[in-house]
Amino acid sequence: MSLPARPMASRSLSSRRTARRLAADAGLLVVAVAFLLPLAWVVLSAVDPHAGLRVKAPDGVTLEHFDAILTDEITFTPLLNSFLLCGGATALTVVCAALAAYPLSRYRSRLNRPFLLTILFATSLPITAIMVPVYALFVRVNLIDTVQGTIFFFAASQLPFAIWLMKNFMDGVPKELEEAAWTDGASSLQSLARIVLPLMGPGVAVVTVFSFVMMWGNFFVPFMLLLSPDLMPASVSINDFFGNRGMVAYGQLAAFSIVYSTPVILLYVLISRRLGAGFALGGAVKG
Amino acid sequence: MTAAAPHAGPDLAKTPGSPAASPSPSSSGRRTLRRFLPRFLPLTPALALLLVFLAGPIAYCVLIAFTDLQLTGQAQESFVGLDNFRRAFRDDAFLNAVGLTLVFTVLSALVGQNTLGLALAALMRRASKPVRTLAGGVVVTAWVLPEVVAGFLLYAFFRREGTLNAVLDFLHLPSQNWLFTLPILAVSFANVWRGTAFSMLVYSAALNEIPKEITEAAEVDGASGWRRMWHVTLPMIRRSIGTTLMLNTLQTLSVFGLIWVMTRGGPGGKSQTLPLFMYEQAFQNSLIGYGTAVALLLLLVGSLFSLLYMRLLRTEV
Amino acid sequence: MRPTAARPAVRPTALVALCAAAPLLLTACGGGTGGDPDTLKVSFKQSTDNSVKVMDTYLADIKKQFEKANPGKKVELVPIKAPDAEYYTKLQQMLRSPRTAPDLVYEDTFLINSDITSGYLKPLDPYLAGWKDWERFADTAKAAAQGEDGKTYGVPDGTDTRGLWFSKDVFAKAGLPADWQPRTWEDVLDASRTIKKKVPGVVPLNVYTGKPVGEAATMQTFEMLLYGTNDGTSDPLYDKESKKWITAGKGFRDALGFVETVYKEKLGPDVADALDPNVGTRVRGEWLPQGKLGIALDGSWLPQDWLEGSGHEWPEWSKELGLAAMPTQNGQAPGKVSMSGGWTWAIPAKAANPDLAFEFVKTMQTKANAQKWYVANSGIAVREDVASDPAYTAAQPGIRFFTDLVEHTHYRPAYPAYPKVSTAIQEAMEAVTTGDASVEEAARGYDEALRDAAGGQVTSK
Repeated sequence: MSLPARPMASRSLSSRRTARRLAADAGLLVVAVAFLLPLAWVVLSAVDPHAGLRVKAPDGVTLEHFDAILTDEITFTPLLNSFLLCGGATALTVVCAALAAYPLSRYRSRLNRPFLLTILFATSLPITAIMVPVYALFVRVNLIDTVQGTIFFFAASQLPFAIWLMKNFMDGVPKELEEAAWTDGASSLQSLARIVLPLMGPGVAVVTVFSFVMMWGNFFVPFMLLLSPDLMPASVSINDFFGNRGMVAYGQLAAFSIVYSTPVILLYVLISRRLGAGFALGGAVKG
Repeated sequence: MTAAAPHAGPDLAKTPGSPAASPSPSSSGRRTLRRFLPRFLPLTPALALLLVFLAGPIAYCVLIAFTDLQLTGQAQESFVGLDNFRRAFRDDAFLNAVGLTLVFTVLSALVGQNTLGLALAALMRRASKPVRTLAGGVVVTAWVLPEVVAGFLLYAFFRREGTLNAVLDFLHLPSQNWLFTLPILAVSFANVWRGTAFSMLVYSAALNEIPKEITEAAEVDGASGWRRMWHVTLPMIRRSIGTTLMLNTLQTLSVFGLIWVMTRGGPGGKSQTLPLFMYEQAFQNSLIGYGTAVALLLLLVGSLFSLLYMRLLRTEV
Repeated sequence: MRPTAARPAVRPTALVALCAAAPLLLTACGGGTGGDPDTLKVSFKQSTDNSVKVMDTYLADIKKQFEKANPGKKVELVPIKAPDAEYYTKLQQMLRSPRTAPDLVYEDTFLINSDITSGYLKPLDPYLAGWKDWERFADTAKAAAQGEDGKTYGVPDGTDTRGLWFSKDVFAKAGLPADWQPRTWEDVLDASRTIKKKVPGVVPLNVYTGKPVGEAATMQTFEMLLYGTNDGTSDPLYDKESKKWITAGKGFRDALGFVETVYKEKLGPDVADALDPNVGTRVRGEWLPQGKLGIALDGSWLPQDWLEGSGHEWPEWSKELGLAAMPTQNGQAPGKVSMSGGWTWAIPAKAANPDLAFEFVKTMQTKANAQKWYVANSGIAVREDVASDPAYTAAQPGIRFFTDLVEHTHYRPAYPAYPKVSTAIQEAMEAVTTGDASVEEAARGYDEALRDAAGGQVTSK
C-alpha cells in the first residue's frame, strides 16, 4: 500500500467499505435468487409426486419419477450413447490437439502464423451455420447416421479451440526441460509424451473437460447427423420423450434432467476444485 | 490495443510463439523441407480432420448455396446462380429472422450477458465470501447445464402456469403468457441466464489483474463508485470487454437448441432467429439449397465478427 | 511475434494431396451400405403420446407372425417419434441414403408423389402383379398411391374421412340438440358462440391451424372449408386441365375468414395452445375425454386412442360424443363435405431387402390382419372384403358414419408440389390466427408463396 493512511480517512473508508459490502451482498443475492428459480424447479419437481410447472414446496418426497425414467429406453441407452459419442470425440480431440500443438509451440516456420490465425478464426465460426451442408455432405459420402462420422465432426468442430488452448499451455512449459532428453536422443514424440504433457497436466485437463462438456450438451449436431433412435444421445432423446408439450410428465422430465446433467456438473466441480476457483476455463473459454 | 491490458484470461494473455531452435535462414529449400516434414508431421491428424470435416463442409456449403437442392419433390438439382440470395432478400420471413437475430443478439449478448456479467464480477469483488461463492455457483451451474435442459427449465419458467407468473402474481404485477406474447424476449432472457457466467468469469479474471493501488488511489481521492468504474476500471479492462462482446455475439449467433426447445421459433415466427429459419427452410420446407444460402450468409456474418475478434487479439499471434 | 522468414518452407503438395484424398477417406469411414439380407428394417410413426402404443402393438404382432413363417429372418422395428411435420422430414432424411433407408416405410399419401419425384421409392408393379389380394383394393385407394408415371408406389392400409365431433355433455349444458347437424358454416359458428356464452371454461370449437401442426391444419381445417365453398365438383386448389395451381379466390378468402373468426372471437383454443405442434395429442388425449371441448373438426381415426389397450381407454366415447357431417359453406348441394387421405406402406428405392419387405406387406394384408388393423386404428377399409365383413362394421360405432361420408369426400391434389402448397396454406392460416395479417394480406401472401412452390405454374380462376 503506497498511500500514507490518515486515521480519520481510514475509519470513514472502512465504514464505507462495510456499507458497500452489504450493498454488494444484497445485489448479488437478488441476482442469485433470480438465477436459482429455474434450478429450484428442476430439483423440487424431480421429487414432487405432483410436479407442475412452477416452483413450489413438494407435496411430499418421492423417487417414483426416477424410478419411471431409469429404464434402458429412456435413460441408459441414450446416456451410454452420449458417453460413447462425447468420450470418443473428446479423446480424438485431445490427442490430435496435443500432437498439433507440439510443433506449433516448439518449432518456427513461416506457416505457423497463418496457421494459428486460421485456427483462431475457426474457433469463433458459428458451427450451427454449417450443419445443413454437413448433413448434405454426410448423406453424399454415406457417413450419415454413423457414430464414427458424428465423432469425427464433433472432434473437428472442437479442434480449433483445443489446439489454440493446448498450444498456449504448452508455451508455458520451458524448453530447457526438454533439452536434456533431446541430447539423449529422444524423438520429439517421446519428449512430448514423457516430458511436456505430464508437466501441463492441468492444461490437458482443461482441454479435455471443456471439450467433453461442450459436446455433452450439444443438441444440434447429433440431431442433424444421427437418425436411428437407438443411436441417439441424451441431448436429442430428451426432446423426443419430453418435448411433446401438453402431455409432458414434468416430474419425469425434471428427474431425467438431473440424471443427464450430473456428469458435467461433477466434472466441472472436480476440475475447478483441482485448479482453483478462478480456473483457466473461465478465462480461456469461448462460451 | 496497447500494452499489457488484461483481457480474456491468463492463457490468451501469454505471448505465444516460441524461442525454438529455428532452421537457419540460409539453408536450402530442400534441407528445410527435410527438416520441416518430420517436425510438422504430428500436425497431420488435426489437419486432416479440419480439412475434411470443417473446410470440406464450408466448401460444400458454398457449392449448394447456388443450387436448388430439395429434400423432396425433385428429380435432379441444378445450379440457379444467385436465385437463392435474391429470394432471401425479398422473403419477408427471412427479413423477419434477420431482425429477430439482431434483437436476440443485442438484447442477450451485448446488453444482457455482457452488462450483467460485468456487474456480477464487480459486485463479487466487494461481496463477502459466502455470498460470492453462492452467487458464482448458481450462475456457473446455469452455464454448465446441457443446452436442452436449460431450454426445458426456462420453458417451464416462462410458461403461463410457470414460475415467473407465480412471482408476478405474488407481487401483484400483470402476468402473461410470455412464450406467446413476447417469445423473443423470453428466449433472450433464457440466453442471458445460460450465458452470463462466461462474461462473469472473464471479467472477474480481468478485474483481478488490476493493481489494487490504482483503485485505492482513486478511492482515497474521493471518486464515487460509478466514476471509478467509468474512468479507472473500464478503460483498464477495455480489451476484455472487446473480446467478451465478440465471443458473446458469436456464441449467440449460433444458438439453436435453446430456442428450438422453448418455442421452435414460433408462434408465427416471432422467435425465429436465423439458425431456426435456416433449419425450417432446409428441412420442413424441403429447400436445402435455399436453407444453405441462408447458412452461408450466417457464416459470412460470423466470419466478419470473427475477423474483428482477431484484430482485437492481433498482438497475440 | 513475427515468425522468422525462412525461405519457402514447404510446398503445398502435401495439402493438395490431402484435399484430394479427403473424399476417399470420407467414403472409407462411411463403409458399406449396411444391409443384412436376413434382417428386415420396418420403420413406422410412433405416437408422440408416450402412453399410446396402437401401432407398436400391431406391428409387434405382425413381426411375430412373419418371423415364424420365415425362419431365419428377423424384423427390426424402427420407430420414429415426432410430431407429424417433423416425422416427414426425418423420414425423407432416412430415405436419402442407402445406409439409413429402411426396407419398408409408412408414407402419407399427400407426400408420396413428392417422394416419388425425388426417386426415394420403388415401383411395386412387379410385386402387385403376382399378388391376388391387390384386386380387393378400391380403385380410389389404388390411385392414391400412384405416381404421375402411372406406376404404383405404395400399398394403402386404409383411408379416412373427416367430420365434426361434439360433446353431448357440453351441448346439453349449452341447450343445443344432441342430434345436432349444422346446415351452414354459420350454424357451426353459432353453436360455438352459444357454448362460449353458456358453458364457461370449455373450448367451444377446435380447428387446427398454422405450421406447427402441419398437414393437419391444411386438411382437417382448411380444405374441409375450401372444398365446401364451390359446387362440390371441381378442385378449388388445382386445375387438372391446365395442370396449374389456382391462386386465392373468393372461396379461399372465405375459408381464411372462417379461421380468423374462430380465433378472433375466441371460439377456438387459446392461440398459444392452437399453435403447439402437439395440440392434436391434447385434443384426443385430454380435451375431448375430459369434456373440455365442445366441437372438434377432426378425423375419423380419433377412437384409436380410446380403444382398450391403447393407453387412453375411453369406452364410453360413443355415448358421450356426437357426430355430424361438415356442412358446405351456405348449405349448397351436396350439403356435406369431407376430405380423404390415408397412409401407405412403401418400399424405399434404396432398401436393402425389397423382396422381403413386400412379403411383410403381404403378411400385414392377409384379410385377418388387415381387419385387425382397421379395427385397431379406426380406419376406413379400402379392401372390399373387409368393408363388407359385419365383424368390421360392427366393431365400432363411428365406422358406419364415417364410411357413409366417403360418398361426399374429396381427395387432395397430391402432386409433387403439394407439400409446399400445403405449407403456404398453413402460413396464411397462421397469419390470420395470430392476427398478424388480415385475410386479404394472408391471401396475397399465399399467391406469392404459391408461385414459388409451383415453379410459376399458377392460374387464377
